[in-house]
Amino acid sequence: MSKDLQMRAAINQKLIEMGERERLKELLRAKLIECGWKDQLKAHCKDVIKEKGLEHVTVEDLVAEITPKGRGIHRSNLKILVPVLVVHHSYMVSGCVEASLLQQINYYDNIITLLQLSSFISDPH
Amino acid sequence: MKMEAMSLSGLDNTKLEALAHDIYSDLVEDACLGLCFEVHRAVKQGYFFLDETDQDSMKDFEIVDQPGVDIFGQVYNQWKNKECVCPNCSRSIAASRFAPHLEKCLGMGRNSSRIANRRIASSNNMSKSESDQEDNDDINDNDWSYGSEKKAKKRKSDKVFLRSLKQPVLLNPNSPRRSKSLKHKNGELNNNVNTDPYKYNYNSGISYETLGPEELRSLLTTQCGVISEHTKKMCTRSLRCPQHTDEQRRTVRVFLPGPSASTLPDVDAVVESDGYDVSDGQALMNRLQWDGSSDISPSDSASSKASTNNSDSKKPKKKKKPSLGLSSSGTGGTGGGTGGGPGTAGSGSSSQGVLSLPSRKKKPKLPAPPTPSIYDDMN
Repeated sequence: MSKDLQMRAAINQKLIEMGERERLKELLRAKLIECGWKDQLKAHCKDVIKEKGLEHVTVEDLVAEITPKGRGIHRSNLKILVPVLVVHHSYMVSGCVEASLLQQINYYDNIITLLQLSSFISDPH
Repeated sequence: MKMEAMSLSGLDNTKLEALAHDIYSDLVEDACLGLCFEVHRAVKQGYFFLDETDQDSMKDFEIVDQPGVDIFGQVYNQWKNKECVCPNCSRSIAASRFAPHLEKCLGMGRNSSRIANRRIASSNNMSKSESDQEDNDDINDNDWSYGSEKKAKKRKSDKVFLRSLKQPVLLNPNSPRRSKSLKHKNGELNNNVNTDPYKYNYNSGISYETLGPEELRSLLTTQCGVISEHTKKMCTRSLRCPQHTDEQRRTVRVFLPGPSASTLPDVDAVVESDGYDVSDGQALMNRLQWDGSSDISPSDSASSKASTNNSDSKKPKKKKKPSLGLSSSGTGGTGGGTGGGPGTAGSGSSSQGVLSLPSRKKKPKLPAPPTPSIYDDMN
């Protein structure tokens, strides 16, 4: 477990250093806006705010309400596609944002080197 | 290294997938967080609800989603089927075509004048190109009129029919239309045979019989005018058309009563008389002799200056050919033939006059002697 965590951390760090994380982030943002995810979430925000009262909304409230929904929306999008697209790396269809991002990440050559690195880090195990 | 390889091989696809998925989740979470911050700031700054102010107005401008109607609720082709009656020609025109139709119908607007000018130009060129079939080969050489000839050819087929319709009208030299145009042309510098777009004086090949004196004159001042043997039509090419010699042009101008100045570069200018048909042995004279006479000088003053040499010879000839109704605005070269009908000087000849002005001054007396000789020949 910790190995995985370490690996994850290492990968993340590597991504940041290379600037790829920023690129992926921007890409994701653009795709989310395109598919309307952002507007949906914003509407949800409005509801939350109206519910809680305009004056007393805090960031934490919003985060707590929104984040699971944000990821959940995607899950629902994904669920339809996952059985179809599955594990195969070579799916061409990336109608779903997540799928396209995953594709991006998966095809990312450097991930191999990252993994190499991380495994090297976790080598002593 | 080995360890790496081992651990790498240990990573199967699913693990890779899972890793990618984790990275992805992190990114999504970041996006969510970003959105939260944005919204929170908007709320605290007070601009979050700015786009939803008034329920009533929101309902007014709601997006309409009905068939046959755009999102504003307007019908697209509402005016398409409506027809308007044109006040000018009393035809019923489709609404979308009404404005351009009106523009053409009334003869106002930028396009109408352009079309009219083009028609006139091409009518000149048409008579040139039609008069002689052989000319067609050389049409490309004629740079000036090539473009308009092209257009003229295209429209010829359209106009041929019209021409046949209109010919009876044109044949009458004394028709009111004709005199009207005469009046308007007074003192005008025009190369136009016809400024009235509706007259359709658009001959593919001009036969001199159908032309009135005025038009013949103006034609001859601007065009070659040599009558082709095949078609009996006048050449509509420019005054310097290579098909015909100056001699031919001169002959034509002598033959047809009272035609305008010849093409010869040393031609003396033609004196304009203002549409006075008549008498104009004196008018003819003016054209022949343009000593000190300006282009637009009234025929009277000119005639007073003109010598009387030709008047006698001219008058008898006038009587001989009344039908042709051409006035001679002949210069030395052409020597206008008999002034058969009204001897109005072609106002178009004024252009000739302008051109030959310099030569005028050079050879003021030349016209006089040659002309009588030419008349003798004709006689």
